[in-house]
Amino acid sequence: MKKTLSLTTYRLTFGFFVLTGIMLPTACSDFLDKPLQGELTQESFPTTAADALLATNAVYNITRSSSFHFGLFPIMDIMSDDGYKGSNPSDAASDVGPYDTFKHIPTEGNVKRWWNTLYEGVKRANVVIEKVPTITMDVTLSKRYIAEASYLRALFYFDLVRAWGGVPKVTSAITQPGLVRASSDEIYQLIEQDLLLAISGLSEKSEMSANDLGRATKGAAKALLAKVYLFKKDYTNAEKYALEVINSGQYNLEPIFNNANSESGEHGIESVYEIGALRFEGIENGGNSYGQVQGVRGTPNRGWGFNRPSLNLMAAFEPNDPRKEATILFLGEVIDGVTIAGDGTTLDETKDANGNVIEIECYNQKVWTPGSTVPAQFGHNRRIIRYADVLLMAAEAMNENGKSAQALPYLNQLRARARSGNAGILSDITDINKASLRDKILNERRVELALEGHRFWDLLRTGKAQQVLGPLGFITGKHEVLPLPQNEIDLSQGALKQNPNWN
Amino acid sequence: MLKSLIFTSLCLIQLQAVAQVRVISGKVSSKEDNQPLPGVNIIIPGTTRGSTTDFDGNYRVEVSDADKSLAFSFIGYKTQIIEISGITTLNMVLETDSELLEEIVVIGYGTVRKSDLTGAVASVKGSDLIKIPSASAIQALQGKISGVQITSASGAPGAGAIVRIRGVGTFNNSSPIYVLDGVILDNIDFLNSGDIQSMEVLKDASATAIYGSRGANGVIIVTTKKGVIGQEYPTISINADYSIQQLPKKIDLLNGKEFATIANEIAAGSFNNVDAVANTDWQDQIFRTAPIQNYQISAAGASSKIQYYFGVGYFKQEGIIAKSNYERLTIKLNNTYNLSKSIRLGNNLAFSPTQQQNTAGGAVFGVYRAQPVIAPYKPDGTYSPVPGVGNVLADIDYTNSFGKGLRTVGNFFVEVDFLKNFTFKSSLGVDMESSRNRSYTPVFFVSTLQQNVINDLNKSYNDRLSLLWENTVSYNREFGKNRLAAVAGYTTQETSSEQFEAAGQNIIRDGQDFWYLNPSNINPNTIKNEVDAGQNYSMMSYLFRANYSYNEKYLFTATFRRDGSSKFSQNNRYADFPSLALGWNVINEDFVKGISFLSDLKVRASWGIIGNEKIAYDRQYSRVNNGVNAVFGSGEAIYPGSTYGVSGNPNLKWESTHQTDVGLEASFFGNKLTTEFDFYQRSTQDILIDLAVPGYLGNGDGAAVTFNSAVVLNRGLEYNIGWNGEAGELKYRIGTVGTTIHNEATKVSGFGGTGDWVQNSSGTTRTSVGLPLGSFYGYKVIGVFQNQSDLDAYPHRSDAEIGFLKFEDTNNDGVLNSDDRVNIGSPIPTFIYGLSSEFSFKSLDLSIDFQGQQGNKIYNAKETIRPDLYNFEQHVFDRWKGEGTSNVEPKATSGGYNFLPSTRFIQDGSYFRLRSLTVGYNLPKSIADKIKMKTARFYLRGTNLFTSSKFTGYTPEVASGNPLDTGSDFGGYPIPRVYSAGFNVTF
Repeated sequence: MKKTLSLTTYRLTFGFFVLTGIMLPTACSDFLDKPLQGELTQESFPTTAADALLATNAVYNITRSSSFHFGLFPIMDIMSDDGYKGSNPSDAASDVGPYDTFKHIPTEGNVKRWWNTLYEGVKRANVVIEKVPTITMDVTLSKRYIAEASYLRALFYFDLVRAWGGVPKVTSAITQPGLVRASSDEIYQLIEQDLLLAISGLSEKSEMSANDLGRATKGAAKALLAKVYLFKKDYTNAEKYALEVINSGQYNLEPIFNNANSESGEHGIESVYEIGALRFEGIENGGNSYGQVQGVRGTPNRGWGFNRPSLNLMAAFEPNDPRKEATILFLGEVIDGVTIAGDGTTLDETKDANGNVIEIECYNQKVWTPGSTVPAQFGHNRRIIRYADVLLMAAEAMNENGKSAQALPYLNQLRARARSGNAGILSDITDINKASLRDKILNERRVELALEGHRFWDLLRTGKAQQVLGPLGFITGKHEVLPLPQNEIDLSQGALKQNPNWN
Repeated sequence: MLKSLIFTSLCLIQLQAVAQVRVISGKVSSKEDNQPLPGVNIIIPGTTRGSTTDFDGNYRVEVSDADKSLAFSFIGYKTQIIEISGITTLNMVLETDSELLEEIVVIGYGTVRKSDLTGAVASVKGSDLIKIPSASAIQALQGKISGVQITSASGAPGAGAIVRIRGVGTFNNSSPIYVLDGVILDNIDFLNSGDIQSMEVLKDASATAIYGSRGANGVIIVTTKKGVIGQEYPTISINADYSIQQLPKKIDLLNGKEFATIANEIAAGSFNNVDAVANTDWQDQIFRTAPIQNYQISAAGASSKIQYYFGVGYFKQEGIIAKSNYERLTIKLNNTYNLSKSIRLGNNLAFSPTQQQNTAGGAVFGVYRAQPVIAPYKPDGTYSPVPGVGNVLADIDYTNSFGKGLRTVGNFFVEVDFLKNFTFKSSLGVDMESSRNRSYTPVFFVSTLQQNVINDLNKSYNDRLSLLWENTVSYNREFGKNRLAAVAGYTTQETSSEQFEAAGQNIIRDGQDFWYLNPSNINPNTIKNEVDAGQNYSMMSYLFRANYSYNEKYLFTATFRRDGSSKFSQNNRYADFPSLALGWNVINEDFVKGISFLSDLKVRASWGIIGNEKIAYDRQYSRVNNGVNAVFGSGEAIYPGSTYGVSGNPNLKWESTHQTDVGLEASFFGNKLTTEFDFYQRSTQDILIDLAVPGYLGNGDGAAVTFNSAVVLNRGLEYNIGWNGEAGELKYRIGTVGTTIHNEATKVSGFGGTGDWVQNSSGTTRTSVGLPLGSFYGYKVIGVFQNQSDLDAYPHRSDAEIGFLKFEDTNNDGVLNSDDRVNIGSPIPTFIYGLSSEFSFKSLDLSIDFQGQQGNKIYNAKETIRPDLYNFEQHVFDRWKGEGTSNVEPKATSGGYNFLPSTRFIQDGSYFRLRSLTVGYNLPKSIADKIKMKTARFYLRGTNLFTSSKFTGYTPEVASGNPLDTGSDFGGYPIPRVYSAGFNVTF
């Protein structure tokens, strides 16, 4: 009996220490290292050629994010003389409404969303620009990806610098807090540098495979650079790059004005840079809410109905300019067999205290998705740069460079297209007086590019903002830029200073 | 010298040779019940010779003439030493030793005599746990232990409870851990109350620090029943209990006519004839009475080699709403094998399969909202459409949601006594859980807003395995007036879990037999994987504790635990959790000896640091986001993309709670009156909160990063007072427990020190410095705008109208906007208490338990969310109808302004409840003996019989697991009132 017990003791003790001997070392070495399951962490991405492509595609993804587009609501048009808040009077009355009258405040959500989303895009571009060069892969592809990311980073910073002025300059994927605002010149330098790199690394549109349309091209980078120079009033370079795009033979105007923004013109001859989208709700499903936010509200139910065209815009069109009908969806209008009835609880006409009509219910037709049974307009491809814009940039730059006569053909190409064979309207412009031609070009930009997000900035850079927008509430020295998001100021603990007169 | 040595040796040999050997035999039995005692040690003092009693209590021992006496010793009994000169037969009756039987308290990694305890530990006996008819044993703790708040958030079958010990210590998971026979768990919902021997709630740092990073929210130690050595004959116990549940009260809502009247005021002409509308009481439509059945049989016993307990239980609860039920089988098997005097092997196993059905999730909320003017059915018997919410009866009818679970928890251990005072224990604990859920929605049509065009099937599978390996060495020694108990150990734990979920549409037939995502059975193109995820984490710990007492007077405890966790990055992987405690048994001092009424007096104090590792451990990682795709090509196709997601915070460290406790225990009049008081203060530091970070970091809009950035203080006084009395044949015990809670965030810091509050996702609570966690946030109502001049005279929101609520301009800036929202109440009670009483008179017994809480508010959230015209609570009928008609209730509106978060929806959450009332009858022993039963008891019981509360909802028990979002009532499953009848027999 006793013998058995001691044997048991022996066996147990022995067994235990053998077990301990096996388990303890295992335990000590890596027992507490438990990687995430089924998820990559940033230490291990991007490391392959396939990763590089994924990382590049992800930068484009941000351009379909709802708040990439001015923070969700088209506040740049709403601040301009082209658009009102729109939608139902009570909808977003307290947050988007104030932009109509320049009463918006630093805590308003669009400002924060737009800022955050643009920087999210910058971060994604930085991932490519910083990490792809470290990947062993095909050099041509690597160069192309970096050029695409540089183009997109320039696009993001261009919005940032125009909307806010000098902003924190972030050029690496992982940034530490504590940044201060760079000057707007520094930001413009970065944009210029990125676009020059993009121009050298990208192909022309005609060299792209049909499956790659929507990626950045040499033409897109040059057109954007021309625009950047216009904003910097560097008309020589603006003219140079605009003409390079024009003379590249890659682009032309759509024969019909309507097609320039519609589905049939997607990635067409006039498209210099646009954002591809599918008709499904949700960014993950390929959708983009840009068209849905502005879509007809009520009947047919195409969206929320923001960015209502103003009477002022309607009046800006020359008599019988067909672009007016093509830009604005009026109540009662029939399009694709659908009658626009609008929103039942929204007044068809809004009157001031004296009974004058100040707004009528109408919608932005440029985001219309063709068809009679489309639910909401998630499939609209927002055009960032159209060839028409490039022609207008060329005309403007040449006029400023003292080449007014040479500018006229570019301007008149647009008018001819708009005229669409009707000799009685939109006669060619022959004015070669620099000052008056400048105004004509600005108005042509207004009617050609109406509700596409250009007008507010065009007024600013041409010095017309106070004159045109003053009656709406614009104050010089304040409203040239948006306020920095209050949250951003707070989080910086004083490192970021608010724009003048916004406190 | 050598000579004398040899001589002496020879003499000894000779002496031995001449010594007479005889045998003494006899039987040892217990004085208490006259039962034989097996395993009693019989030793001849001064020698190593001896014997033990057999199964029948009989023994035989050889003694010599030189042996003067025999010592009989047995655990729990007084050792007796008997002179044996000339005796050959000796029958012994052993008496239980009240001193040795002094209450032993289970603490982490050991036990301690209650008099030596330096920590705040409360015990509840198993017999108290079976008083509440619930699947969860925890429910029975309500009102029983000071400092412990138990809230049933839902009355759904099988639902667990929310447990808070000494306030709410963190913004994150604030639930205690459970230690079931040494296995560390997150809940014990799988455990049958009948299998539990005792529960110990460890409250202060002295008691919890041995659990280190898991101790901050308290520890509940659960000990299950074991066979007791000496119970040679198995004790068979049978419990059966049958209950009926019913809705305790209805919410006072508008009837059809009243609703139509209000609807007409909101939109004129909604109902032409308010007397002709239907009047449906939707609450009557869905609530029913429903039974609970609970049966348990167990067998416990022991031989000298094996102790065993075997229990089987079956619990089934139908819900008071159709299509909700819960069913559970529990099997408990606890064995200890005494391989030798010094080696024990054992296992404690719990095995519990469950299945349940869940009714339509929004049924209760739907009933609250449904317009009473709609009849549930159309004349043709089909469901009638109900505006806004849909027809709840149809929802229930078309909801088919089933779950199955299997939980296996147990440990296997070996204990070896070695050297003189050492015991080594190694225990392998296992916690396995798997669950499968299926939900199916058939094709149906009630209205265009309530229909399902294609049938859907969703299935999910979860499994988790946690292995805990604990090795401890303990040392127990008494020398002189010193008593020392120490334990040191090394433990590791590893947990891995996986979740999988998939869905499909267009199943070929409706029946359960077809609920498989089988491509031949379902449209294969619709089958998609929704979730496939896994988590692994691990922990490694070193622990140490020493209890020292001197002269039964002075007590000292020191504890230390070092935990390492995979949840933290290399930078902060390990943390140390120390504690110290002192105690003084004043009663053993000479200077109180003369105080005759004093029977016990003890003071104790403790301090320590404990941690909370129940955090979203993955927040340290900077992830890559997949699925950020792009659309390219003339044909427009999706191209996948991946990029950096939100940057994690690799510097995250443990939340740590610094806790101080001072306790006083005093008993009087021969322990008739017992009292215990504790003052506690817990300060939880480095609480993890998600903070907004600068946008230029590129994490995206709304992204937040987790930081250690808040401090919460809990402070209070606990008491536990009892009186045991006798008056003739009446025996009684009356007790009360209570706790005050002062809860306050003392630091809430935003990124880089900015900002000073955090809110819940809906913005109805905001926690800022100086306020309790999850304080409600909204406007203060100071009246109703009676007329235009009233409106003009006071700041108001732009959407205010005459007849609308007047909100206070709290910051006096002359503008009424969101900045005027303020703290409007706390969801945390300032006082929680319980009263209990037990009476027995001859064969009858009676117990009555009350519990309640004071000082907390409830936000009646279900009343505020009104995108459509829903039914209203009765108070809305007293609405403002013109100047002077009401300064409390605003003009009738379907939603909007008047339903903004405000004091209008804050209600008093205090309540006082008759928790349980039981009347029992014990079969007299004479009769029980005749039918070979040890005991037999029959009882009737009522649970939640009466609740005094001002809250208009079903139950003032409103809570959620998220401390920032608790105390808001969204119309959860009501807690039923229950009537039970049952019996316990043992034989």
